[in-house]
Amino acid sequence: MKRSRSLAIVTGALVAGLALAACSSSSPGTTGGGGSTGGTTSGKASFDAGLTTVVNPSTKTGGTLTYGVAATPDSFDPGNTYYAWVLDLNRLWSTPLLTYKSCPGACGDTLAPGIATGLGQVSDKGLVWTYHIKQGLKFEDGSPITAADVKYAVERTYDRSVMDNGPTYFEAILADPKYPGPYKDPKGNLTSITTPDAYTIQFHLLAPFPDFDYVVGAFSQTAPVEPSKDTGSNYQLHPQSTGPYMFSSYSVNKQLVLVPNPNWTQNEDPQAKQLASKIVVNLNMNAQDLDNRLMAGDVDIDAQGIGVQAAARAKILSNPSLKTDADAVPGNREWFTYINTKVAPLNNLACRQAVEYAANKTDLQTAWGGPYAGGAIATTLLLPGMGGYTPFDLYNAKTQPTGDLTAAKTALATCGHPNGFTIGASYRSDRPAETSAAQALQASLARVGITLQLHGYPSGSYYSTFAGAPNYVHQHNLGILFGGWSPDWPDGYGMMDELVNGNTIVPTGNTNIGELNDPAINSLFAKTTNPALTLAQRNAIYGQIDHMAMSDATILPNVYATNLIYRNPAATNVYAYSPYGMYNYAVIGASS
Amino acid sequence: MGGGIFIVFLILVAIIGPHLVQNPDTYNSSLIDPTFSRPIGPWGGISLAHPLGVEPVTGRDMLARVVVGTQYSLLIGFLATVLAVIIGVFFGIIAGYFGGWVDAVIARAMDVFLAFPLLVFAIALIGVIPNSAWGLSGNTLRVFLLVFVIGFFAWPYMGRIIRGQVISLREREFVDAARSIGARGPYILFRELLPNLVAPILVYSTLLIPTNILFEAALDYLGVGLVPPTPSWGQMLSNAVSNGFYYIDPMFMVIPGVAIFITVMAFNLFGDGLRDALDPRTR
Repeated sequence: MKRSRSLAIVTGALVAGLALAACSSSSPGTTGGGGSTGGTTSGKASFDAGLTTVVNPSTKTGGTLTYGVAATPDSFDPGNTYYAWVLDLNRLWSTPLLTYKSCPGACGDTLAPGIATGLGQVSDKGLVWTYHIKQGLKFEDGSPITAADVKYAVERTYDRSVMDNGPTYFEAILADPKYPGPYKDPKGNLTSITTPDAYTIQFHLLAPFPDFDYVVGAFSQTAPVEPSKDTGSNYQLHPQSTGPYMFSSYSVNKQLVLVPNPNWTQNEDPQAKQLASKIVVNLNMNAQDLDNRLMAGDVDIDAQGIGVQAAARAKILSNPSLKTDADAVPGNREWFTYINTKVAPLNNLACRQAVEYAANKTDLQTAWGGPYAGGAIATTLLLPGMGGYTPFDLYNAKTQPTGDLTAAKTALATCGHPNGFTIGASYRSDRPAETSAAQALQASLARVGITLQLHGYPSGSYYSTFAGAPNYVHQHNLGILFGGWSPDWPDGYGMMDELVNGNTIVPTGNTNIGELNDPAINSLFAKTTNPALTLAQRNAIYGQIDHMAMSDATILPNVYATNLIYRNPAATNVYAYSPYGMYNYAVIGASS
Repeated sequence: MGGGIFIVFLILVAIIGPHLVQNPDTYNSSLIDPTFSRPIGPWGGISLAHPLGVEPVTGRDMLARVVVGTQYSLLIGFLATVLAVIIGVFFGIIAGYFGGWVDAVIARAMDVFLAFPLLVFAIALIGVIPNSAWGLSGNTLRVFLLVFVIGFFAWPYMGRIIRGQVISLREREFVDAARSIGARGPYILFRELLPNLVAPILVYSTLLIPTNILFEAALDYLGVGLVPPTPSWGQMLSNAVSNGFYYIDPMFMVIPGVAIFITVMAFNLFGDGLRDALDPRTR
């Protein structure tokens, strides 16, 4: 469940635009989006101003706001998307029960009410989550929004033959996993969602799941859908809006035009704004062309949020007047290298530590795009700014960024291979930066006698057939495997469960590619599901897991990804939005 | 004959060069400006230590990579041509001499091969082959595969030319004479006809080599070539284009581009010269 969703974000949104070329890194101090908590500080345009402040704050309405995307969406249907940029855009026409708070930096990681009146109320030992829906809300056609519409919206996501892109958390978490969906079973009904009255909805879980509010709020799947307006897979051509804008026209994979929704009220939806009188989203543009149009002002924002290409990066960073209008936005993602704990000789902890020590972190950073376009050198699994994150550096990545060869040789001697060893390494050959990173690691490990035999695979089947299939990994002696992770929601569970929890190892589509099965870590993950724990207590456990996983040396962190994103100086209310790792599209205006 | 001299030079570079240059896989991160990922200094970081500059991102020596790339380009170009010539001559000579249904079958087969969407097929074929097969692995396997794919699909060009030549030769008196003293098919094919085909075979092989080198570069460019970090001209070009380095470091694209250009031109000039020398009628 989390697996496929996260993968979709990683493989889809990232791959779609030569992600690697576009990732940019920020200086360590700015990664994580600063610590602003109130959220509405405002600032003038300057480099990285959008990380902590609202650039060009304004309440003026009117004008046309133009987005460009060098990719195509998986679907504009709120129930059927997993791409971060589409989820971000979706907030313009769909309001789920909960949504992320609209404010710069890490403040955006907290949840706020969408069409619900507040966060979920937990009862029955964590098995029942209750939400109350605001009264008087309307769809774009004027019909009232009720709990039944939210229930229907979730029901339709159960039919994977129609809704094949979105996350599948509900099927995995709710108590009625066999329900086939309303298209195949129009008379049936999802018994694990009940609506005691028209404005109350209750979710019944199989087992306690403390992050359930994120399941409801991180995606647009709980945005209400009117059963009479549902056209199945064609619903994405004109979803009934519950947000500030509605579809005026949509030419599939070419252009989407949005106009203000007359039935939306600002008072009921403080997390979004209705400023521009028209929003145009141009899809499937050429990446270089898009960069040029951005800098010429023809396009206001690159909606995909993966940053500009190398050519535009050079222009922006070497020209102070362009640099003022750019941010190195933390990308809510980490690039790293799995070190498999089952493939000999890496099944020996000391051998894995040797890899951690010997890696040249500076070369890896340069391979990912350098300090502005790759990211800050990473030393932990949790991203800076996430709950439970503490900066620690077990393998001297900060003090000796080119590699600690003395410690590496000592570790090699301890593991019984003083002269090194030979091991396979896998990467996605259609991703230029990952290919570069694999070669950089190969060159740096060669310094202590560790020989990497590189194996490139296509990214489309990387997780399903190659690196994500433990059998294949063992047969081909792949001990070093490149990967990356964007958490589905910004907490320790979203970031680490799929990477280091021993219970998540599966025969195909595996994302715990290091195959770490540390009972101590597994039991800590089990502990976090205790509904009695407070958020702070859970975050403390995540911090502990992070430290233990790094001690197990199953992941060599490369960079905390950042993207160099350019904003049109004319666009208003622009700021980096932590949960999606790009600007917050729900509040941007066109006229200052 | 300038082309010929240059080819000799290339072969020397391919054989001796790799022993003279630096290690093509050594990183020189200190020569790279990490902000832009490009070499420090003008012209792609050209200096005494790195006469052709260094690669963006990695700082690997360009001269070393181009020289080692020569080795692979020529090796694959030559071997693929040899394969194409062997298959092409064999089938061309049989089709031309026997005629009739044999000719019809072989000629149609050649048409099929010529009509094949070769690039797409090559990408698919190389894409599905795992990293180790038939007891080979890594680069050895890739070289073998590239030679096979390129050579196997280039034979009809040679085959058609040989077939045409044989059709005109088989009516000549010396073939009739051989037949009248009782010579059988194989003897006539390989003892009487083949020696008369040496000139066109030589000429068209020489002209096939640059085509194959270009094709290898194209496959490398499309990401189905040699395994990194093995240097290859096509891969350098691909890297320059897909990462947008041609904008921030044009030399990274120019250098392998020029290497391909002069190599292909040298072989073409040499082939033309050879044809003029061996086949006066075409003058």
